[in-house]
Amino acid sequence: MSAVPKPVSSPAAAEPIRREGLIPVLVVVVGLVVAVQIASFYLPPFVMPSPLTILKATIEILQTDYVHIGVTALRLLVAILFAMALGVLLGIVMGIFPRIRPYIRALVIIDTGIPALSWMLLAIFWFGEPEVRIFFILSVILVPFYALSIFDGIRSLPRDWVDMIESFRPRRWQVLRYLILPHIVPYVLTTTKSVIGYAVRMVIFSELIASAVGIGSRMSLAQSMFRIDSVLGWTVILIVLNLMLQAALTALEKHLLKWRAEASVR
Amino acid sequence: MSAAVETVISLRDVSKSFGSLLVADKLTMRVDRGEIVALLGQTGAGKSTVMNMIMGTLQPTSGEVRVAGHDPYQEFEKLRGKLAVSFQTDRLLPWRTAVENTELGLLILGVSAAEARQRALTWLNRVRLAGAEDKYPHELSGGMRQRVSLARALCVDPELILLDESFSQLDHVTSKTLREDFAQVARQYNKTCLFVTHRIEDALEMSDRVIVLRPGAGIALERSIDAALRADPVRLQELHTIIADRMSVGPASDT
Repeated sequence: MSAVPKPVSSPAAAEPIRREGLIPVLVVVVGLVVAVQIASFYLPPFVMPSPLTILKATIEILQTDYVHIGVTALRLLVAILFAMALGVLLGIVMGIFPRIRPYIRALVIIDTGIPALSWMLLAIFWFGEPEVRIFFILSVILVPFYALSIFDGIRSLPRDWVDMIESFRPRRWQVLRYLILPHIVPYVLTTTKSVIGYAVRMVIFSELIASAVGIGSRMSLAQSMFRIDSVLGWTVILIVLNLMLQAALTALEKHLLKWRAEASVR
Repeated sequence: MSAAVETVISLRDVSKSFGSLLVADKLTMRVDRGEIVALLGQTGAGKSTVMNMIMGTLQPTSGEVRVAGHDPYQEFEKLRGKLAVSFQTDRLLPWRTAVENTELGLLILGVSAAEARQRALTWLNRVRLAGAEDKYPHELSGGMRQRVSLARALCVDPELILLDESFSQLDHVTSKTLREDFAQVARQYNKTCLFVTHRIEDALEMSDRVIVLRPGAGIALERSIDAALRADPVRLQELHTIIADRMSVGPASDT
């Protein structure tokens, strides 16, 4: 057979992506460090310690309290995976079962209207076990994000693709496997990237209120001991944790969505 | 003793209306095994409606549609593996490579992954896409994507292939090459094809028979095209003029 015609190359969009990478983060970090250093010259140490003091507190935390970091990270991971699974399931049910859709949608919308603080206080009333409390709080807060996003993703499924796959007379599970699930992967990833920072904040609040173990509880302890350097040290660790999670998600996204053409706007 | 001609598609007195709008009126036509039939008509002539009734995604208001002996709407499942469609746009799934898109129909039909892959590679080779198997759709040109779409339809070895304006979005040169390639492959493997188009040249070039639809009515013209006719530019031009004339008339009540 003859040679293959020259394929159309994808647009050169790599440069803007590189510009969105590490360098801007470093620039902002340096700027913040300088700002803290300047503030520490004018403010008392119990209000704004110097970056060096914060760094020492951070190192001390990493040496002595790393277990709390692990516990918080594990809670976060379990809750996000559970919320992802349940949210995707609810989103799919809403997307493919029109009769059930209004009821689940109403439930999800009502859930989004309940303040996180209400869930936290209710969790303390309802559950005695701290792990259950935190898991419950994170789940009820995160599930609606996934459910609504996945439902939206299924609604945006091009009719052309549905007609194409139906021309082969597939079973319902085959439509799910070959069309719906791959189609919603970008929605799952985007939702996870959107909620990860929020989830970190929520897990810290939950630990502050409902547990004696974890970053939130250690921050509460540092505050009660007037250790602002430790509070800022924990904050630094949380920022780094968030950045690491975002980087891991970006890497996962690059791997899972390698089929996607990157477009750039001049 | 000659072999009996087997009819793959038959429409008998088929009418379809959407509310008060009559799109097809007592349409009767057939497509025999191994034939390439072009269904011609201007926009609004009801070509897509007829195609959808044959695909089984639309139920006729009255009359009978049979595809490979089955009612495609009522017996939707029974046409599994017997029918494949190539659409106006390629409709490739962007997360699947060329070979993964090609093998999709086979996987749905329950063919093992290894066999599906082998057959998909063979068909990509036949539509001149050897070497592009692992490219994603966004890495392929429009013509290449449409070739993948054709390979996906041919790959399931269907009794019937429906082509819904499959070449009309491509430029003239690419469209002509692809039509020629498709007609050659279809004839070589004795495929039955119903080819919907609004372009008379396309129909004359690759079909054994043309059926011209008139908006809101039945068939305005039906003509066979053999190799002798195709080789005679004068007769071909005459037929072109007649078809264009029949396509341009309004609904049946106007004529």
